Amino acid sequence: MELKVTNLTKEFKETTAVDHISLSMENGVYGLLGVNGAGKTTFMRMLCTLITPTSGSITYGGKNIFEMDEEYRKLLGYLPQEFGFYPDFTVWDYLMYIASIKGIRPAAAKKRIRLLLHQTGLARVQNRKMRKLSGGMKRRAGIAQAMLNDPRILILDEPTAGLDPGERVRFRNLISELSQDRLVLLSTHIVSDIEYIANEILLMHAGRIVHAGTQQEILSGAPVRVWTLAVPKEQVAYWQERYTIVNMKTLPRGAELRLLAADCPAQGASEEALTLEDVFLFYFGERTGEEHDVL
Amino acid sequence: MYYEIKKVLSRRGRWIALLFPVAVLILVLYFMLSDTWYTNSSGNRQTGFAAIAGQKAAVREWSGLLTEERLAQVIEENHRINSSKEHQSEDVQQQNIAYSRKQGIKDILYTMGFAYGSFQDWNYAAADSLTKEQASEFYPNRVIRLKEWLAGEGADGFHEKEKQYLIRQYEALETPYYYEYQDGWKNLLQWSPTIIMITTLVLAYLCAGIFADEFRLKAGSVFYSSCHGRGKAVRAKVKAGFLIATAMYWMEMLLYSAVVLGIYGTQGINCPIQSTMSGWKSFYNITNGQEYLLILFGGYLGCIFMTALVMLVSAAAKSSLLAVMVPFVLIFLPSFLGEIRHPLMQKILGLLPDQLLQMNAVVKYFNLYGIGGKITGAAPVLLVLYSVLLVIVAPVIYVTYRRKQVY
Repeated sequence: MELKVTNLTKEFKETTAVDHISLSMENGVYGLLGVNGAGKTTFMRMLCTLITPTSGSITYGGKNIFEMDEEYRKLLGYLPQEFGFYPDFTVWDYLMYIASIKGIRPAAAKKRIRLLLHQTGLARVQNRKMRKLSGGMKRRAGIAQAMLNDPRILILDEPTAGLDPGERVRFRNLISELSQDRLVLLSTHIVSDIEYIANEILLMHAGRIVHAGTQQEILSGAPVRVWTLAVPKEQVAYWQERYTIVNMKTLPRGAELRLLAADCPAQGASEEALTLEDVFLFYFGERTGEEHDVL
Repeated sequence: MYYEIKKVLSRRGRWIALLFPVAVLILVLYFMLSDTWYTNSSGNRQTGFAAIAGQKAAVREWSGLLTEERLAQVIEENHRINSSKEHQSEDVQQQNIAYSRKQGIKDILYTMGFAYGSFQDWNYAAADSLTKEQASEFYPNRVIRLKEWLAGEGADGFHEKEKQYLIRQYEALETPYYYEYQDGWKNLLQWSPTIIMITTLVLAYLCAGIFADEFRLKAGSVFYSSCHGRGKAVRAKVKAGFLIATAMYWMEMLLYSAVVLGIYGTQGINCPIQSTMSGWKSFYNITNGQEYLLILFGGYLGCIFMTALVMLVSAAAKSSLLAVMVPFVLIFLPSFLGEIRHPLMQKILGLLPDQLLQMNAVVKYFNLYGIGGKITGAAPVLLVLYSVLLVIVAPVIYVTYRRKQVY
């Protein structure tokens, strides 16, 4: 079944959060990559029927998802960026409650919850109150609730935000494991989150999907190459002004720069293999400086 | 719905809130018992359970239909006590002994203060100057005093149809009425509004978060993206609110009623409310038992309606703080507006939902409303009006909340 977005637009008072997006998605993992404020969350919330679009449409199997109502949401699993929960519920009660509003019968819910608690490594803390869980455990409870109804469409908004590197890798592997035979849309501003698991990458900027394709297509389509170059300390500022520096390693008498340029920037510069991270910085370089954990 | 109720009750603060009406109930019982006193034949004052027993025994001697003959006996007995040496004495203890002999007839003497006084001013000593021949004027005087008042001081407050209605209602009171011990009902009815209002305020606190908490806790995204998030799950919230309100109200009121009537007894259930001083002027020809039912069901309707408003504000404004303020405003604002003595303002105030929480006051006010050319009191209007509004508000809560967007 195809989830199709046509000319989707969402305008708020003075801004256009989502600007005429058109795309179609089928089974597979889609990585939605963009800096904060690119419109990823608004886009995903429309896909989850949480916000109605100003114009445009979203269809699933040819039917408008807002008209499908419950029929569509039955197929949906969603982990929001700010995952809210009921702090005084135990993990078990929380999942039982979510199962009930997802229309899962108690007997089936219990079976499914046991399985998901095992998969997410939460079985030991099932009787612990939600508010007493660590950040990583809360996220895992979040993914468990999203998976309760074995959704055909799984939407994960910044699922690794706030997790330490170890948790982030574990979480990424979990998502990869759960992504079989379904459409997974994963938004992030952390490139490495999707580098390994996404079949298709959507680069979002200022409410628009500016580039889309497989990692290979995105890399080969980028009109830029990546170079490393050792420069004296006093010349660092000169290079920073002229090129996008994706990495700078301090050396005893200068620095080794990893920079983006269409052609060889100087003698002695050696070309390196372009990564998704380089392309991301090429497209959104100026904005990413505002982030702490872009890479 | 089970989990919605669990959400409400899972917070520790809310359990404490649940105990608050019970604490108020205990306090009310304390005040009630402290205020129940009886002067024994030695002129000493007793309070509490001993006072109840003493008062019951004193009234029992005078229980029965309050006929002309009985009233004449009351007047004679009052004279006999007044002319006793104990009553004439300067000594307070002796006077108390004289008073102790009046306790069986004191409620009758008090109503005589209105029957033989003026309509607005209660005359404590009215019974002291009566002759037994005047006993026959007791019931007719109630109507005569009303007519006098409507022709004079009260003339501007009512139009002709309303005046005729009041007179008809007064004339329709079945006389002679039955007289017996009824302190249990008097206390029960008098303190009911306190219990009902406290219960309503606590319910507002409990139910204010039912809808708003999804947003406060940022749980709305998962809620609304779930299969039943814009349907059955919202209905479950509305039902949970009403169920919590219903359960708490009835538990509180039935516990209160059982305790008060258990202590004071159920005697007096069939006495008309006019048989006591506070109800003498009421134009509602009902018994204590019927007033109790009116308070009980009116209070329930008011409590449920206030809870519905709390839920509506919670759903619309996504703020539990704003929602919890609703009953406070609706209960306390009329007290300030009541100072405005304009007839229209009084009519409006008479139909505000806080009135349902104090039906014992409603049956004593002269709030009249003309519907389809017919005049009626506020009580039936309130019951019908808020039943209809409740039926309207409940689906509005549902529609308001199911349409919310999560930005």
